[in-house]
Amino acid sequence: MQIVVLTKVVPDYEVPSADFELVEDRAHPRYTRMIGLYDENAVELGVQLKEKLSAELVILSYGVSDDVQFLRKALAMGADKIVLVEGTSDDPYVIAANLKMAVDKMGGADLILAGRQSSDMDRGVVHGLLAGMLDYPFIPQACSAEQADGGWKVAQITETGKRLLKLSGRGVLSITSIPENVPRIPAVKAIFAAKKKPVEKLPEIAAARMNVRELSVRIPKMESVCELLPAEDLEDTARVLLRRLKEERYL
Amino acid sequence: MGRVPYWNISYGLLIDLLSLPAMAVFAYGIYGHWQRIKQGKARIGPGMTLDAWKVGPVYLRALLVKGILGSRIYKKPCTGLAHALLFWGMAALSVGTVLVFLNVLFGLAVFSGGFNRWFMGFGLDLAGVAALIGVLFLLARRLFPPERLTLFKTNSAFVPIEAAIVLLIASGFVIEGLRIALKGADPGSFVGNWLASLLVGVGAAPLIHQYLWWLHGLLALSLIAYLPYSPLAHLLLAPVNAGLDIPIPGPKMGVIDFEAFDGEGEEAPCLGVGKMADFSWKNLLDASTCLQCGRCHEVCPAAQTGKSLSPKNVMGTLGDYLQQGKMDDDSLLDSIGSDTIYSCTTCSACMEACPVSVNQPNAILKMRQHLLMERSEIPEIMGQAHRSLEARHHPFIGTGFGPNDWRKGLDVPIYRKDETTYLLWIGCSVSYEERTQNIARSMVRILKSAGVSFGILEENRCTGDPAKQMGNEFLFTEIAGQNIEEFAALGVTKVITMCPHCFNSFTRHYPLLGASFEVVPHAVLLRELIQSKAIKLANSGATICYHDPCYLGRHNDVLADPREVVSSLGQLVEMPRRGCESFCCGGGGGNYWTEEEGTRINQTRAKEAMDTGASLIATACPFCLLMLTDGLKKYTENAMIQDIAELVCNQMEA
Ligand code: SF4
Ligand code: SF4
Repeated sequence: MQIVVLTKVVPDYEVPSADFELVEDRAHPRYTRMIGLYDENAVELGVQLKEKLSAELVILSYGVSDDVQFLRKALAMGADKIVLVEGTSDDPYVIAANLKMAVDKMGGADLILAGRQSSDMDRGVVHGLLAGMLDYPFIPQACSAEQADGGWKVAQITETGKRLLKLSGRGVLSITSIPENVPRIPAVKAIFAAKKKPVEKLPEIAAARMNVRELSVRIPKMESVCELLPAEDLEDTARVLLRRLKEERYL
Repeated sequence: MGRVPYWNISYGLLIDLLSLPAMAVFAYGIYGHWQRIKQGKARIGPGMTLDAWKVGPVYLRALLVKGILGSRIYKKPCTGLAHALLFWGMAALSVGTVLVFLNVLFGLAVFSGGFNRWFMGFGLDLAGVAALIGVLFLLARRLFPPERLTLFKTNSAFVPIEAAIVLLIASGFVIEGLRIALKGADPGSFVGNWLASLLVGVGAAPLIHQYLWWLHGLLALSLIAYLPYSPLAHLLLAPVNAGLDIPIPGPKMGVIDFEAFDGEGEEAPCLGVGKMADFSWKNLLDASTCLQCGRCHEVCPAAQTGKSLSPKNVMGTLGDYLQQGKMDDDSLLDSIGSDTIYSCTTCSACMEACPVSVNQPNAILKMRQHLLMERSEIPEIMGQAHRSLEARHHPFIGTGFGPNDWRKGLDVPIYRKDETTYLLWIGCSVSYEERTQNIARSMVRILKSAGVSFGILEENRCTGDPAKQMGNEFLFTEIAGQNIEEFAALGVTKVITMCPHCFNSFTRHYPLLGASFEVVPHAVLLRELIQSKAIKLANSGATICYHDPCYLGRHNDVLADPREVVSSLGQLVEMPRRGCESFCCGGGGGNYWTEEEGTRINQTRAKEAMDTGASLIATACPFCLLMLTDGLKKYTENAMIQDIAELVCNQMEA
């Protein structure tokens, strides 16, 4: 069995807005790079499934060679190998086509997991496109999966609760965070072991771009106006807070 | 005529012969301790050169002062005095017994002249009285115990032992009284002579004397034989533990050489402590020596605010596992509990209070290392801080500030190789929190005003100390390695720290990783600048209460300098718990990033500071500042807490 996790290396997604700078409409290269927030949840779920099912867990990424050092964290968490398609495009079609090429080369995958959206572009489209290209079903906003009768039982988070779905074969899931898939801190021995795990690099293939053009990128100015509420009586504080939120039309 | 040893006793020498098997049983007991303790691994060295008298592995001063004189016991004056009376009384009585033995065997003249009167008579009676008072106090304390003695585990074997010692001393006096009643007064034996006056005319006196003599002798031999198997073993283990303890304060964690692990992968040796067999022999000696007195529990900020951690209980559990030979039982960490292990603030108050030189935080931190580095277990919020430290090299999750925001609008020189004298180390704690940024800004203004040649790194990052405190020695080594490389490339030789955790890491752990530079905490530098009149201060006369940061005071003995600084700013006010006995702010050991159970430690300490009635509270640690500022919010809206650098900067005269 082969499980693939789509993993993107992104600039620090917690850079405070006051310190955030753009260069050519993208985050300044000075920011630390790391695996995206939801992608780490997907890796964690992948590791849990691998441990349960003795599956092979592959980290599939599209990006630059320098990012391998950050992807190794996924190996330390428990994945078996990295497949990196080397490329620099930001276009979801191009990325999805390259990921499809890599999945095809692997002979397909029993399950493909991905963070629900990347932590830099926040678009959440690549996994859906990839599912379309592979002709796999796609379940967005999933939080857990378990093997069932040759397919998968998948829990999906909806706005109001949780929905249980049955996937009869292969599929692509976009993963959202829940306490059960908080990424583990890799054990030190696993960090050492990760250094020896294989990394396969594939050259990018040419693919058509999406028919959308980016016109401009803007960072909103953050403004904080602080109002302290008295905290002697917490019930009273809660009442005052509710009133103030209504007055300011936040509720 | 002088005293005749073994008077009225036939075959008295039998008791001397019986002492041989008693000593053999005693020696076997000691051997048992040795066997258990030597199962431990080698310990990691201190990482600093010590100016201490040492013979082999034994530190002589600690052996004498803490081990034999028992300096720590007197922190509780009554108990301390009782111990002293009993110990020194029994020591003198033992010397007397040996002298009698030498008299019998070799005719050593101890029963004549002034020596007989003043030592064998008066001295030994006085020793007996002292020992009796001491042991009666200790027995009464066991029968009506304070809570610390009974919490979690009671050392109940003390009661029969102390009762036996009472019987031993009392029987000794009655034997003396009977002998004198039958044979005539002994010079100097004031107790014996007085008892004799009461016993004159007792029928069967010679027979009672004989029975009591044998009872006394056999009881003494039984106690000697039983000593290593009983809680009285602390009599021997405490000096040994004190002499072998590296005489620097704090947990003495050393560093782990991860280069040795490279290439080992999953085969690498176990990290931290997951079972008794992973501890060093010193940890096992600690576990054997702990006598469950509970003094550590009484001063532990976690235990005192309702957390599951009690250092007494931790040491008790380790002692039980060791005693039961559960060396490879990996239920150890689960039976202590992950929450318990993570609630330790590493403040070392327990070490300071322990009368027998146990290093509790060292054992706790080793178990924490195992939880994190082997089992990936960490409390949630601390885990987030850890992840941030790993990815961003600072643990301040959700900070609203970039690394250079603290110096916006301020002209701060960058450290230049061969030009700048001091590196002003910024680290993380004064750059990512709004409240503490002012410490760094104040320090820059002070150094400029004093004309000190200083500079900062272009890019500041953490020392890695929070990783070490959270148990991730590996991450610490990685971050420290980068810092050491950068310092070497820049030729840094002198560093100023504003955070005592950075100071501690730089002086205790960085040298073990190859660093060599001088470090001066800002408290010391400020004192020097004031003393040399490089800066002039206007003394406001305001009352200022000083809170000792654990890592500056208790861990590194920097107690006088910040007080001198505070005294030049206003009128120094002390809290009841201060100096080496100071109470933690709650933020150490990575617990700045935690959701506390029970009463909050920072509120407890803030209240103690407020109760002094001082108009300001000063400290010399950014973490203490943040913790106490937060703790104080429960009691007042006034911003009463400031770092000494902020106060100095505010009161600097142009
Ligand atoms: S180091 Fe401090 S918090 Fe930890 S056990 Fe000792 S007294 Fe308690
Ligand atoms: S560790 Fe020390 S202070 Fe704590 S209970 Fe044991 S002997 Fe007493």
